[in-house]
Amino acid sequence: MAVFVEVDHVDRVFKLPTGGEYIALKNIDLQIHQGEFVSLVGHSGCGKSTLLNILSGLDQPSTGGIVLEGRQVTEPGPDRMVVFQNYSLLPWLTVRENIALAVNRVMKKHPQPVRDRMIDHHIEMVGLQKAAHKRPGQISGGMKQRVAIARALAIRPKLLLLDEPFGALDALTRGGLQEQLMQICQENGVTCVMVTHDVDEALLLSDRIVLMTNGPEAHIGQIVDVPFPRPRERMEVVKHPNYYSLRNEIVYFLNQQKRAKLHKAKPVVAMAANGLEKVNLELGFIPLVDCAPLVVAKEKGLFEAHGLSDVTLNREPSWNAIADGVATGRLDAAMMVAGMPLGMTMGYGSQRPRPMVSALTLSRNGNAITFSKRLFDAGVRSLADFKAALDRRPDQVHTLAAVHPTSMHNLLLRYWLASGGIDPDRDVSVTVIPPAQMVSTLKAGTIDGYCVGEPWNARAVAEGLGVVMATDNDIWPGHVEKVLGVTEAWANQYPKTHVALVKALLEACEYCDDRRNREEIAALLAQPEYVGADETNIRQGFVDPYNRGDGGEPEPVLNYIQFFTGKANCPDVSEAVWMMTQMARWGITPFPRNWLEVAERVKRADIFGQAARELGMLDIGRDRRPSHLFDGIEFDPDDPLKYLDQFAIKRDLRIEEVPLDAVSIR
Amino acid sequence: MTAPLDIRPARSRVNLQHLGSQAVNWLKGLIAPAVAILIFLAIWQLLTMGPDANLPTPIRTVSDTWELIINPFFNYGGTDKGLFWQVFTSLQRVALGFTLAAIVGIALGILVGTSSLMYSALDPLFQILRTVPPLAWLPISLAAFQQANPSAIFVIFITAIWPIIINTTEGVRQIPQDYNNVARVLRLSKPEYFFKILFPATVPYIFTGLRIGIGLSWLAIVAAEMLIGGVGIGFFIWDAWNSSRISDIIIAIIYVGIVGLLLDRLIVFVGGLVLPEEQKQ
Repeated sequence: MAVFVEVDHVDRVFKLPTGGEYIALKNIDLQIHQGEFVSLVGHSGCGKSTLLNILSGLDQPSTGGIVLEGRQVTEPGPDRMVVFQNYSLLPWLTVRENIALAVNRVMKKHPQPVRDRMIDHHIEMVGLQKAAHKRPGQISGGMKQRVAIARALAIRPKLLLLDEPFGALDALTRGGLQEQLMQICQENGVTCVMVTHDVDEALLLSDRIVLMTNGPEAHIGQIVDVPFPRPRERMEVVKHPNYYSLRNEIVYFLNQQKRAKLHKAKPVVAMAANGLEKVNLELGFIPLVDCAPLVVAKEKGLFEAHGLSDVTLNREPSWNAIADGVATGRLDAAMMVAGMPLGMTMGYGSQRPRPMVSALTLSRNGNAITFSKRLFDAGVRSLADFKAALDRRPDQVHTLAAVHPTSMHNLLLRYWLASGGIDPDRDVSVTVIPPAQMVSTLKAGTIDGYCVGEPWNARAVAEGLGVVMATDNDIWPGHVEKVLGVTEAWANQYPKTHVALVKALLEACEYCDDRRNREEIAALLAQPEYVGADETNIRQGFVDPYNRGDGGEPEPVLNYIQFFTGKANCPDVSEAVWMMTQMARWGITPFPRNWLEVAERVKRADIFGQAARELGMLDIGRDRRPSHLFDGIEFDPDDPLKYLDQFAIKRDLRIEEVPLDAVSIR
Repeated sequence: MTAPLDIRPARSRVNLQHLGSQAVNWLKGLIAPAVAILIFLAIWQLLTMGPDANLPTPIRTVSDTWELIINPFFNYGGTDKGLFWQVFTSLQRVALGFTLAAIVGIALGILVGTSSLMYSALDPLFQILRTVPPLAWLPISLAAFQQANPSAIFVIFITAIWPIIINTTEGVRQIPQDYNNVARVLRLSKPEYFFKILFPATVPYIFTGLRIGIGLSWLAIVAAEMLIGGVGIGFFIWDAWNSSRISDIIIAIIYVGIVGLLLDRLIVFVGGLVLPEEQKQ
């Protein structure tokens, strides 16, 4: 799809009467495709209306520019019609005259009868025939808004700009108009940019939601793709398995911005002490059993022991929040899903590439694939059964969930499905849902199964909602699962702190793998500020025998979660290459032509080695040799492309050079 | 088919009752001002009942001027005309002066409002001139025109024009940015902008200016006519004072007040016809 509108590095600086400057917008860079519906969401004062005015040409950017179909926008024009926040109908003209003013002006080339038909058609389209000869003062707010929309659409703009179009309307009118607008835009293929602060409205209408950070210097904080199929129905959109996770993501972002506003008064400064550059660290974690090393390091005083005297653990709602928090510097470091540092470095999912560093593997294994009890009761006991069930009901869409595009859950689930001849994108739908929401989404019936870490499989089993179809040990025993991730910039800025952090967590990992400590750790994790789940669920596989929920006896699983043993912790380049092949296989990232450079740059065995030596531990990782998963297809880290070639089910492979040093660090 | 027949008389009864209650409400509204007028007349009567009072009592006033009250239309030539003719002559002057003021004032106001250069150049001048009392213009206009009637009209003109200019200017400058944005997005031509947006948006302000202007010009005409003589309600009052016909003055003042009120209402009424509901202030 060709770029239709390009917002090219736009800044908007206002001169203050006192002589200073107010930077409203900073470095806004956005591409909008033909027919796309984009929403701008943010708190008031984040410059979203300013951006809309710049798009319309009513306001000019201080630097950068807007390019519409290859031509720069310098002044307002009818090809970029605006539906203003307060309708902006002329009160001295009737409904019809208001629309006629626009049509007669813009469609001058057409003869009068054509224009008249056009006007009548649009009055009819918004159902205002009866009010056509009333003045705006005599009709309701909802009707005025319809007139404004009809006026805007009547002149066939290339780009429709809507400034909080439904803000002033009651809920019922708003709902009706949203559906009308959606229908009109769809039928006419209008490209739209809408400013709103209503998250549900944005989710219903948009293809992409652009989340803006607070001003001053507001910029694009995050872009959320809304994958709901069109045409959309309000009720079906709400039932979509991703609806609530997307909604939570956006609300989380907005809350984050609100907090950031409060925090701005006291900017975080690095406190240097104990021979380290920074001892006040904000670490992010997700409520999962394998966050144990962070919890242990905190509770057993291991951070302090290595000089990190002021470490805060932040319980984050989703892996996206983790990625975003580390990227923006809100978090110093975080536990990450294994592919996240690689994915961020390569710019997964059309995000801006950001060089990341991982110097420690925090855990291995600990995942399982759970299917809903419904599928189990329908006779699905194995992957082959599932394939048969899919073939029986090709009309029914089965949705499975993983926690993040770059996570092992996603990669393993897809690998597992594909090995059984199921295309994870065509035969089923694989969606992203944060770990803690998996069980409730399964319960709601919007998904049929998921791959997630504990305790969220154990909980589904305990509640009788799901059955474990496969654990990691059935797919790839001992694979990398959670890693420590920081930005490369952070690692370069605080090298000693980084080593101290790795040392503290490495000691914690060792502590976690001592079976004698497991009872204590399970009790720690059960606390509400950490995992906050039922302790019996946490103990599944971690301490107790593992119950798969299929009616069989719970059986002890060796190394169900592995924190230290078997040279678990050294960053492993071979595994990084395997993850790169899989991310490329599913089109999450391109496969880097310089794959070894990327892997070596992210997986910093040297930092791990320094930390391990200082602790007197073994500073080497696992042996570098070809390996294979359960299906026996051999993976040779020296020839990843050959490995990729063997797979029948895969997406189109993109092989690109990932420029590591050209990436600017903001 | 009988049902509608049954309903119709019922409806008209309701309407009659409705009209009746409206009339009652209207009469109730009159009670308070009527009582106030009665009290005022009583106080006036009490204050002027003494033997050495300088002003006539209300009863005396009415009996003195009975001739004037019952016959406003007599015309014995010269300045000896009925009150209707006196007021009519004054109104003619006001009409002429005020019309000129409205035309020039609105045009100047729009010009000054649309050009910020003109605004910064002329606004201070207007602010100074508008504070000049109407009568201060009279000597200079007499000197310029050498005749009484054009001078009086000029005084009306110069008195009424300032509020019209200033309000029109303000109206143009206050056109909501939304309307201008609509014009910019649609790329309206200059004449289209003027007739579809600028002028209609300014109309409420213009009417505010006209209303203030008409009040001021009625104020000015009475004073101006006192000085220049001839037929007119102002000179009638001056002449009555010179002839010690205090009762005539009082009755003339009542006329002046009522006519002033009617002029004001007239502008409001015309404004109501022109302005759409949303723009009324």
